[in-house]
Formats: sequence, structure tokens, C-alpha cells
Amino acid sequence: MKINQIYVNLPVKDVQKTKEFWTKVGFSINEQITDEKAVCVMMNDNIQIMFLQEDYFQTFSERPVPKGDTTQVLVAIGLDSREEVDQVVNTAVANGAYQHEEPQDHGWMYQNSFWDINGHGWNVIFADPSQPRSSE
Amino acid sequence: MEINQIYVNLPVQDVQKTREFWTKLGFSVNEQFSDDNAICVIMKENHIYTMFLKEEYFKTFTNRPVAKGETTQTLLAIGVNSREEVDGMVKTAVENGGSTYSEPQDHGWMYQSAFSDLNGHQWEVMFADASQFPAE
Repeated sequence: MKINQIYVNLPVKDVQKTKEFWTKVGFSINEQITDEKAVCVMMNDNIQIMFLQEDYFQTFSERPVPKGDTTQVLVAIGLDSREEVDQVVNTAVANGAYQHEEPQDHGWMYQNSFWDINGHGWNVIFADPSQPRSSE
Repeated sequence: MEINQIYVNLPVQDVQKTREFWTKLGFSVNEQFSDDNAICVIMKENHIYTMFLKEEYFKTFTNRPVAKGETTQTLLAIGVNSREEVDGMVKTAVENGGSTYSEPQDHGWMYQSAFSDLNGHQWEVMFADASQFPAE
């Protein structure tokens, strides 16, 4: 079994601010499925993140939206270089996110992270294909 | 900006049971990233992975407590290649300890069904039929 695409759906308080945030970080918006209740951020052709206004998000789940005091998901996204990783995190932080941890360089993998303006956690990684992988 | 891969990280109570569940759904496991604390399910080779982390381990990556299954922070929508694959996956999920929380929906160009997995994470399984996509 394999899937052909994924949409990660996350609740937000303010769709417009969220749209501005992710645009500044450098991603494109899929306007076809974006409106005042939801913004679709295209991470690549097969991977999209839907940020839904909390009231709207609520209609898709029987459980309440968390108040930002717990974590159910952390999303890790891969970029093409260390520079891109730092650029994304630095731009995010400059626009209201905060750095979650110090960057970690494992040689084959470089990792940095931020928590976005809605409190969702993002690990940003560069996997270096020229370096041997280790599980460390 | 485009990403090259995504890892969706979710907390689970029992890694072994989670492995059995996702294997029965038909997915392969990336053993290189799997151990007693975590299992890496390959959703689309080289691009889309879901990491299920034992709660205690997941907790080390966030400064907030793990959600107890009373709230929903994320809904994950995944695309497969036919209506039959959608129904087959949801049926297998329910037979193996998952549950449904909504009825299948057929929009013509998109068919969608959903299940809640062993750990209460919600998955929307969809088939997008490009041949029936409504004209603008």
C-alpha cells in the first residue's frame, strides 16, 4: 500500500495571519482550496498543510480542539540544504514563531526547529545524501 | 520553497501493536528508523512517512504534555488510488481495532472515508478522481 498525497490538517485561530506567516516563510498557497476558513500551504506537489479556523476544524472531529497545552503531533519537513533549514527557521522566528531547540548537526542530518504562531511544532531537517546514515 | 519529504510524528501507547495495525493496513515499515521506542511507516517511499513514537519518547521532543486523546490537534488526510482502496483500508482498520467516526462521502471527483486508529488519531482516506474534477 502506498499513498499518493497527504494533507496535514491543523487548527488555527486566525487564518489570515497564518497565511501571511507561511507565505513569509517562503511557501506557496493553493488558492483553489483556500478561503476565509482555511488556507492550504503547498509544501510540494504531494504534500500540503491545511490550516483550518478552529470552529471549522471542530466540525471534522468529535473531540474539542486543544487549548495549546498539549501536543498530539510534531511535523518534520525535509529541505535541500542546511542553509534552507536555517533560513526557514530564522524567517519563522522573525515573524512570530519561536525557536524550539538549538540546531543539531548529526553530519548526515541537520535539524532545526520552531513552534509556529499557532503553537504547532515543526522540525526542519536536511538529510545529506553524501554522508553515511547512522541511527544516532 | 518546497520540501522534499515529510515525517508526521504521532504519540502511541504501544509501539508493537501500532506496528501490527499499520502492517495489516498494507504499509511497509522502515526498519532503519524503527526500534522499541518508535516505528516508521512508509506511506510514500522517499517522501511521506509517519513516525509513531512511544509516549514517553515523544514527550522528549516537546515541552508540553502528550495529548490524552480527549482533544484533536491534527487530522491527517491521505490519498490513495481508488475507491476500493479507500474502503478496503477503512474496513481493515475497523477489523483491527480502529473505528469509524463519519460516513463515507462521495463528491464524484472525490471519495472520502475515515477511521480513527488504535491510538485515536484520525485519518481521512480519499481518492481524488482527476477525470471528474469540476471545471472552473
